[in-house]
Amino acid sequence: MPTVDIDPDELRELTGHEEKDDDELVDDLFGLGLEFEGWTEDDEFELEFAPDRLDRLSVEGVARSMRYQYGDARGVHVPSTNSAEWTIEVDESVPDERPYVTGAVIRDVNLDEDALDSLIQLQEKLHATMGRKRAKGAIGIHDLTMLKGGSATEGDSTIQYVGVEPEEDRFVPLDSDAEMTPADVLEDHQTGQTYADLVSGYERYPAIYDDIGLFSFPPVINGRRTEVSTDSRDLFVEMTGTDQWTIDKMLNIVCYALTARGATLEDVTVEYPDSESASADSNGSRTQSGGRDLVRPDLSTKTKTVSHDRIETILGIDLDPDEVIDLAERSGLDAEKVEDEGESEREESITPLEQRDGLEERSSADGSSGPRENDEAAPVGDLVYEVTIPPYRVDVLHPLDVIDDLGRAYGFNDLEPTYPDVGTVGGRHERSRLERAVRTQLVGLGFEDLLNFHMTNEEVNYERVDVEPDAGVYGAGEPATIKEPYSEDYTILRTWCLPSLLMVLENNTHRAYPQHLSEVGFAAEVDETENTGVAEGRHVGAVLASHDAGYEDAKARLQALARDFDVDLETPATDHPTFISGRAANVVIDGETVGVVGEIHPKVLVEHDLEVPVAAFEFDLEALR
Amino acid sequence: MQLPAQQVAVLEAASADEATSVDALAAATDLPPETVTGAAFELEEDGLVAVAERVDETVALTEEGREYATDGLPEVRLYETALEAGADADPVSMGQVIGASGLEGAQVDIALSNYARKGYGTIDSGEITADPDADPAADAEANALESLAADGVLEGSEDVLDQLERRGLVEITESTVREVTLTDQGVTELMAGVETAETVGEVTPELLTSGEWEDVEFAEYNVEADAETVEGGRIHVLREMSERVKDVLVGMGFEEMDGPHADADFWINDCLFMPQDHPARTHWDRFALEQPTHIDELPEDLVERVERAHREGVGDDGEGYHSPWDEDFARALALRGHTTSLSTRYLSGTEIGEIEPPARYFSVEKAYRNDTLDATHLLEFYQIEGWVMAEDLSVRDLMGTFEEFYAQFGIEDIQFKPHYNPYTEPSFELFGTHPTTGELIEIGNSGIFREEMLEPLGVDCDVMAWGLALERLAMLTTGAEDIRDLHGTLADLEFLRNAEVTY
Repeated sequence: MPTVDIDPDELRELTGHEEKDDDELVDDLFGLGLEFEGWTEDDEFELEFAPDRLDRLSVEGVARSMRYQYGDARGVHVPSTNSAEWTIEVDESVPDERPYVTGAVIRDVNLDEDALDSLIQLQEKLHATMGRKRAKGAIGIHDLTMLKGGSATEGDSTIQYVGVEPEEDRFVPLDSDAEMTPADVLEDHQTGQTYADLVSGYERYPAIYDDIGLFSFPPVINGRRTEVSTDSRDLFVEMTGTDQWTIDKMLNIVCYALTARGATLEDVTVEYPDSESASADSNGSRTQSGGRDLVRPDLSTKTKTVSHDRIETILGIDLDPDEVIDLAERSGLDAEKVEDEGESEREESITPLEQRDGLEERSSADGSSGPRENDEAAPVGDLVYEVTIPPYRVDVLHPLDVIDDLGRAYGFNDLEPTYPDVGTVGGRHERSRLERAVRTQLVGLGFEDLLNFHMTNEEVNYERVDVEPDAGVYGAGEPATIKEPYSEDYTILRTWCLPSLLMVLENNTHRAYPQHLSEVGFAAEVDETENTGVAEGRHVGAVLASHDAGYEDAKARLQALARDFDVDLETPATDHPTFISGRAANVVIDGETVGVVGEIHPKVLVEHDLEVPVAAFEFDLEALR
Repeated sequence: MQLPAQQVAVLEAASADEATSVDALAAATDLPPETVTGAAFELEEDGLVAVAERVDETVALTEEGREYATDGLPEVRLYETALEAGADADPVSMGQVIGASGLEGAQVDIALSNYARKGYGTIDSGEITADPDADPAADAEANALESLAADGVLEGSEDVLDQLERRGLVEITESTVREVTLTDQGVTELMAGVETAETVGEVTPELLTSGEWEDVEFAEYNVEADAETVEGGRIHVLREMSERVKDVLVGMGFEEMDGPHADADFWINDCLFMPQDHPARTHWDRFALEQPTHIDELPEDLVERVERAHREGVGDDGEGYHSPWDEDFARALALRGHTTSLSTRYLSGTEIGEIEPPARYFSVEKAYRNDTLDATHLLEFYQIEGWVMAEDLSVRDLMGTFEEFYAQFGIEDIQFKPHYNPYTEPSFELFGTHPTTGELIEIGNSGIFREEMLEPLGVDCDVMAWGLALERLAMLTTGAEDIRDLHGTLADLEFLRNAEVTY
């Protein structure tokens, strides 16, 4: 899981809890779901986070959550913004693959070293998560004073988001002294090489211009001219991506982090051209890009309608409406009670999955059989809340997510566990029972039960046992192959078990003999008649390795199995390259050829460094059914 | 202590004060001497008696010797006849004396050859004289014969014995004599009480059919000694763990699920409301198949509903993901990264038809992760998956179910850490106290399935679910340190043979 580094001193300062020692902070962070992994080299906490609360990817966001947890803050807080002086003009030349842009101006930033480090980390973590390694969203932060806006519109300053030919223009990228074209950057610059794949298929590369010229090559690298330093006072933040909602949310998280340090926000106008690119995407249009101009950052809140009954059902406790509102505010949400909407309105409440069976029936049953502690919940059963979600939250998709927040604020570990009072009949499926029965018989016959990997490679599965893929002999079917294997040892699914068993023998030549090993295990081969294209089955495989092992030993045990499962066994002679000619037979059960039995060929034994004879059999488990 | 009857008899007949011969013991115990000897040696091995050995000579009369003992030595008879004939005064004709003596054949030569040697008189030119001073009663050889014949005791010197042996009148045989003395330990054991145990070595068909078994005791073995190592057949230790888990779950009312290992991403991820651009769905975590590539058929209406949930969410003010969704990607085949694909298949009604609440389902089956292969991670591992479907389920029900499950494995005091999964809300990581080390360790992941997952599948009640790796549970309960000893072709038979049985 991803981690984020947090300076405990900064955390104390930003939460206003100088009195908390490190251990207390670690405990409080665990309560938020941030697990302390250890100390970094810079004496910061390394915290593991679950990738839902992306607003906690920096110390500012973590401090905000802790202030709610401590009760120092309540409800939704939305920072105010000054009206826009800057406009981002989106040109029609912008590459189709990356049509979206957003931005904000942030003034009066006090960027000391810590704040700058935190900002850089936030940018990196957002790239790694929501930004999908910059593919979906990429952030550029610039020193505003280095930008020259010109006067595309009177009184306003404007920058342009455009598409450029790879060699069309030059700029000095970060960490470089030389002017380079975008193509040069991808070729020669270290950061450029890392992100070259993101734009390699583009005809034109994304680029951002001010009056002076090219200053950013998203999603790859910014220009050096606008580089942010501890001296920077005003910032211009732009983000480009493949989805408007995603970059708008990333922007909100950055804006909240900076205002937590006292900065003020200023809107930016985003002007899309009068073409299809802006409105084609449904996500874009839902985030109000249906119009030509967008005002960003989009700090609008949204609401979820949450039913009181559902809160109680999920948490399994009775709550007073005031308690619900309190829990919401302690979670950084606002909740407002909405009066009983009546029978017909309830159809539209947020519990559509449950309506059909009737709420009455459930609430009357709850008191006696459900996990309720008492049945006084009924009077508030029709209550719903309008819950306001702050603009930095990216994880609230459904009212259920609000209920989770309420549960966390309540303290899940304070809930008393109950065993669900519903009766069901357990059981195992037939194949599972058959496998168990066959293993039991095999063990009775003296076999040591084994459990091998299903993944193997062609060398093990075919070459080392001297068969050709799809050669028409038992075990040598066509394998399902893995596209990007972990290593060359695991490139296919095994088509039979004997090669695995022979490998176990090979790896245990220093152990006491006899080694009688068996496996009732998975094997698969390509089969176009199957829906998945793969025929999956279980094989019964066995090897007998000892100084005097012979065909009869294998056949005897095979006979015992056939008798145990009341099937007819015949073993007509066959040729199978894994076995000695004249000492190999097909396993024919109830008239069908389902396997092979014989003495392993010396060539195969020597290949596996074995110095004892090995008799073996393998057949389809299904045959014993 | 218990001893075989013969040993008991010998022990009791022996004395600590003086050595008793085997023959004497045989007489005392009424046992054959060889039995007594055998018993004595076994007792000596146990330190209960000391056996001393010496070689004895036994002298016995030959037939000739016995005859002379009765009739007198020939030379004595010759002398006595000679005296009667008056040979003490003048020489007498030898023929006359021999005739009168009754000596015959070889006895004549014997008499003549010993007559002069012993000083009974002289024989010269056919005439015999008798020394009047000679005393036949003092004849040492005769006396020795006489006493041997009378009481078996030899009187006389070594020389006499040699002479008798040379004359073939006695036979000297050597015999080994063993004498038995009780040791201190023997005395102690006797005082403590020794009981009779009759023993035989093996139970034979004859012993059984003859009825003789009723009268015998079986020879005692050293039952403490290590026996030969036997490698019997046995169930794989991880399989035992899996059986145990299945037992527990079946006991809790769960039914088992079954389904494909190689499956469409649709069932593995899309039905779980996992966005298609989720990092876990990228190539480095996933074992996508190269051949075959795509599933043949998916239920069309379900695909439609799943896509809508991804794009728009469910419910009045639900929202979807702001991520692309592509059916071709959903149809791509991969080795399942979790067995939750079985749950989605079952919940969708395509496997065994619509499932009505209440219901509980589980599986303990393999899942595949393109992650790392080391002492604690495998590329393929067994995932325990379980879910409960009911009209109303709360997180308290979820907690109660898992507490019950883990308590079966000795893991108590479960803690629930609020967590995030794309497909459950609320979600919890489960922590428990290690039964031996007391350490707090992660033991599973759980939650209530999201409505965005359930509604497209056609489920209109609550479903809570959880999962964990079987290997993790096995390592906790068996103490195995390297998971690869347990699972796979690197398995060490020695480890498996010595692993403690799980039940």
